[in-house]
Amino acid sequence: MGENSQKPDRKLLEILVCPVTKKPLRYDADASELISEAAGLAYPVRDGIPIMLVDEARETPEE
Amino acid sequence: MSAENSIEIFDHQLVRRHRQRAAINFNKFSFLFDEVADRLKERLEEINRRFPDQLCLGNSMRAPENKADILNFTGNSTDKNYPAGIEFDEELLPFKPASFDLITSNLALHWVNDLPGAMIQMQRALKPDGLFLASMFGGDTLTELRHSLMQAEEETTGGVSPRVSPFADVRDLGGLLQRAGFALPVADSDTITVHYADPFSLLADLRGMGETNALLSRSRKPLRRDTLMRAVALYREKYGRADGRVPATFQILYMTGWHPHDSQQKPLKPGSATTSLADALGNLSFNNKAP
Repeated sequence: MGENSQKPDRKLLEILVCPVTKKPLRYDADASELISEAAGLAYPVRDGIPIMLVDEARETPEE
Repeated sequence: MSAENSIEIFDHQLVRRHRQRAAINFNKFSFLFDEVADRLKERLEEINRRFPDQLCLGNSMRAPENKADILNFTGNSTDKNYPAGIEFDEELLPFKPASFDLITSNLALHWVNDLPGAMIQMQRALKPDGLFLASMFGGDTLTELRHSLMQAEEETTGGVSPRVSPFADVRDLGGLLQRAGFALPVADSDTITVHYADPFSLLADLRGMGETNALLSRSRKPLRRDTLMRAVALYREKYGRADGRVPATFQILYMTGWHPHDSQQKPLKPGSATTSLADALGNLSFNNKAP
């Protein structure tokens, strides 16, 4: 099905920030995630819908 | 996940679970949300203005028009007719400052723990002269159910636990809007009374709307059957009409506020008047008028 291949709205991506740090996000199309480097969190994008919830986010290892 | 010093009243994960459960059959129970959404839309139509970039929070508000040059999407909706374009916590907005011309919220803010904080963030997410228009449940909501449950629980268990949410009061909202930095704040309320065949259909409706108890301080024990039956009997006895139907009160609060902008009307500075009050009053009996 590739249900996660749907891209979020371009204009929506422009205004989104990390809800915790209010810092910019990086969209990873392959993983279908919005990555907040400042918070060390990756927010999932499901069916093109960004899920900007901390308890749904994946913790990313420190770089 | 909120600021350490804020008071947690509601269980957000539970609110979300209730909404997800309600989403399956929401159309059957959405009449209250639809009605209030219509009243909000009427207020919006009275404002002769275009709002290109919109964020609609909660159910039954305008559906997204997928035009490339405008942002118009719904957040946290359980209503399939108005699918969510994004999900987020109302207390942790994920938007850059000055992103929207309009933020509407229909009956969604009563589950927010930190309402002043949420409103400050919405004010910041608005562009200058952007509009915030919201409805929420007020303090008189479900007053019959609250009283019946309280009395029944006291009679059957000897104690009382909170089963109906505390709601905001219309008197608080004007100050709240101002504290959040909104210009030209307006708050008012109206009451919708829904008549049910019996208290059980009211409870079924609340479940269908995704609006059952999500208080953190809620009793973790399920409501005892004898307590429930006593509450239903009290509800009928105290509030029932001659035809056996029972009323349920929903108080709806409305809030309007604008992101500050130079073009908005403001009070003049003291001492800046160029005409004397006596002139304005037609010099009726003032003898000390300047020549």
